[in-house]
Amino acid sequence: MTWSLLGDALAIFFALCGMFFMFVGAVGIVRFPDAYNRLHASSKCSTLGVMGLALAAVFHVGTLAVTTKAIMTIVFALVAAPVGSHMLAKAAHLNGLKPWDRQLSDELQQDKERREGKSPCNAPRGMAASPQSRPARRDPGSDPTARISAAV
Amino acid sequence: MNGSVLSMLSLAHGPAPALAAAASPLQPALFLTLEIGAVLAIVGMMLCLYRMVRGPHLADRVLSGDTLAYQVVGLVILLTVRMESTTYLDGALVVAIIGFASTLAFSQYIGNLNRRSNA
Repeated sequence: MTWSLLGDALAIFFALCGMFFMFVGAVGIVRFPDAYNRLHASSKCSTLGVMGLALAAVFHVGTLAVTTKAIMTIVFALVAAPVGSHMLAKAAHLNGLKPWDRQLSDELQQDKERREGKSPCNAPRGMAASPQSRPARRDPGSDPTARISAAV
Repeated sequence: MNGSVLSMLSLAHGPAPALAAAASPLQPALFLTLEIGAVLAIVGMMLCLYRMVRGPHLADRVLSGDTLAYQVVGLVILLTVRMESTTYLDGALVVAIIGFASTLAFSQYIGNLNRRSNA
């Protein structure tokens, strides 16, 4: 009796956590301005949401079959979600999807331009790609992003 | 149970009679939580479908499909907890694996689009 009470209390707690992250991830899919930002919300949904709900199944049912499959689901979600998000973000960047116009830095784009030998002054967007960014690496100016990169 | 969201989703009507003696006093609260969770998962699936229709880029549609697969996984796990059954969780695992594989395949496709159009 006591153990089933404790298990149900833990199941309610983990189910509430999982439901919260599932719903917040879905809202973030709609509300975020950019595909890269939306990937951030999608990862929350697929790791923390699935983990909470599977732990609720473990604590409420508690048989060996359910526990094994729930742990397999959790491990698979924890492995698969970062790999899928990373591949999708890199493919979108390779396809030329423009980031949000108010984002601060696009380091993959900077790396690409540096590898191609282009001047970063021609970079069309972002504060980090502003004309002060390359000299400001030696002399930190008023640009906050340049100061951060010089501190790093 | 009749008229609730999870019973409409399942083919077997009514709760499983298993562990009836060990039912704790928190079980109605848990079942109410699961009903609310089913409603939230369905609303989340609708939000993902909205983004899939309106996504400006192909990557938006693919990631909303990925999230849709994980919402389905969450709904199936809620059904598992409600019915106290083992068999539904296999479906959750299969949907998760298929969603991951489709995400990988679509991201390969998106990454190769630019190269193919230039060549």
